[in-house]
Amino acid sequence: MMKGWSGMSKMKLNLGPQHPSTHGVLRLILDVDGEKILGCEPVIGYLHRGMEKMAEGMTYLQYLPTVDRVDYVSGFFNSFAYVSAVEKLLKIEVPERASIIRVLLMELNRIASHLLWLGTYLLDLGAVSPFFYTFRERELILNYFEKISGQRLMYNYFVFGGVRQDIEYIEEIRPIITTVVEKLEDYEKLLTDNPIFISRTKNVGILERGEALAYSITGPNLRASNSHLDFRTQSGLYKNFEYKIAKAEDGDCYSRYKVRLEEIRESANIINQAVDLLLCKPGDVNIGLNPVNITPEAGEAYADVETPRGLTTCCVKSDGSANPYRVKWRTGSFYAVQILPKLLIGNMISDIMSIYGSLDVMLPEVDR
Amino acid sequence: MKFLKQIKALLEGVFIVFKHLFKKSVTLQYPEERPVVPEKFRGGHTLNGCIGCGICRKVCPCDAITIENEGKNVTSYKINLRKCMFCGNCQYYCPVSAIKLGKKFELATAFEEELQVELVNDSNKSKEDNK
Repeated sequence: MMKGWSGMSKMKLNLGPQHPSTHGVLRLILDVDGEKILGCEPVIGYLHRGMEKMAEGMTYLQYLPTVDRVDYVSGFFNSFAYVSAVEKLLKIEVPERASIIRVLLMELNRIASHLLWLGTYLLDLGAVSPFFYTFRERELILNYFEKISGQRLMYNYFVFGGVRQDIEYIEEIRPIITTVVEKLEDYEKLLTDNPIFISRTKNVGILERGEALAYSITGPNLRASNSHLDFRTQSGLYKNFEYKIAKAEDGDCYSRYKVRLEEIRESANIINQAVDLLLCKPGDVNIGLNPVNITPEAGEAYADVETPRGLTTCCVKSDGSANPYRVKWRTGSFYAVQILPKLLIGNMISDIMSIYGSLDVMLPEVDR
Repeated sequence: MKFLKQIKALLEGVFIVFKHLFKKSVTLQYPEERPVVPEKFRGGHTLNGCIGCGICRKVCPCDAITIENEGKNVTSYKINLRKCMFCGNCQYYCPVSAIKLGKKFELATAFEEELQVELVNDSNKSKEDNK
C-alpha cells in the first residue's frame, strides 16, 4: 500500500452523489492523504434526463416548455437559446419590444440566479443567516415572474417570434430592483471584510486565465480570472444598453464572489434602462405566428446566450419535418465541473466545498 | 491594527443579523396562512365549451390528455396529473379557450386513481370542482 507524506496510507473517499452541498447529484471520487487531496474524479450523469434525445420525438412546440428544465434556476436563458435558434431556422424577425422584454426578464433572472448562488454558497461555508436574506430578495423576483407567466421557475413565456404577452405590472420592477441593490450593501457588510469568509475564500482555488480559456470556462468564472470575455457584448440583443463588464484579477473564490456581486449591480442597471425603453416604445410583442404546425426548412441554426453560469448555446438541426432532427446543448456548468480536479488537487478537504461552490455548478445543466 | 479591523468587520456583521431580530417576519405560515395565488397561475384544470378538436393533445409535451369525442360532442376528457407538467400549452393554443389552468395548487394525493382526473365539459360543474 502506498504511503503518503503523513505516514498514513492513501485513501479513497467518495463524496456524493447525495451530498447536501452539491446542488444536485455530483459524485466526487477523491484520493486523500490525511486531509490533503491527491486526486479527484468527478462522476456526472445522475441527473441525466435525455433532453437532447427527447427533442427528436417531439414537435418544435412540444419541446419548448421542457427547455426551461435544462437549468431550472435560470429558465429564461434556456428558452431564449432554443427559441432564437428555431427563429433562425424559420427566418423570422423578432419585434423590437419583444427583444427588450426578453432582455429585461433575462437580467431579472440573472439576479435571481446569483442571489441563489450567494445564499447557498455561504451555507456551504457555514454561514446560515445570509441564506435567508438572499432568498428573501429572490422571492420578490420569483413572485413577479409568477405574476406575469404563471409559474415561479418554469415560465414557458418566450414563443417563436416574440414573447407570449405584453409585459404586465411593469411598475413593480423598479421597487424590486431598488430593494435588491439596497440589500446588496448589507451582504457586502456581512461578507466582504469578514475575516472568516476571507480566510475560506482568498487565495483558494486559483484559476489562471490561460488555464480557464484552455478548459473553455466562460461566464463569471472566467471574468474572475482577469478576462473581459462577455458574450453579451457580441450579440445584437444588448446593443441598446450601456453596462460595464464585471471583472476581477485574482481568479480565486473571493474574486468569483466579487464578480457575481458586481454583476447583480450591472443587471440592475440594464433592467432600469430596459424599463425606460419599454415605457416609451409601445409596439407588437410577437409576430402572431401559430406554432402548432410549424415545419422549418431543412438546415441548421445556432444561437448563444450568456447565462449566469457561462455560455449556453443551442444548435437545432431540421430535416424539414415537424420534429427537430437533432438538438444540441452546450452549457457553462459542464466545463466548470471538468476543471474541478485541476483546482482541488493539493488543497484540503475543507476547501472542496469552498472551491466547488464558488464555481456555481448547476447539475441539471451538466447532465441535461 | 489589522486585528482591530477584523473585529470591527465581524461586529458589523453581527449587528446586521441582530437588526433582523426586530424586523417583520417574511415567512408564510403555510397551512394556516394561505398564499395569494396570482391571476395567471397554472394549476388544476377546468374545461368549459370544448369542441374536441384535439389541439391540446397535439401540443401537450407529455401526452397527459385523452379525449373521446363524436364530432363536436366530447364524451370523455381525461387528464393524467402524474404526467402533466403544467406548462400551459393546452391553455395557450386552445382555439376556443375551453381548457384553462386554474388556481388550484394542492393536487398531491395518496391514491393513484385520484390523479386520473376526468374533466366535465360544463362551466358550472367544473368551477365548483376547482373551489
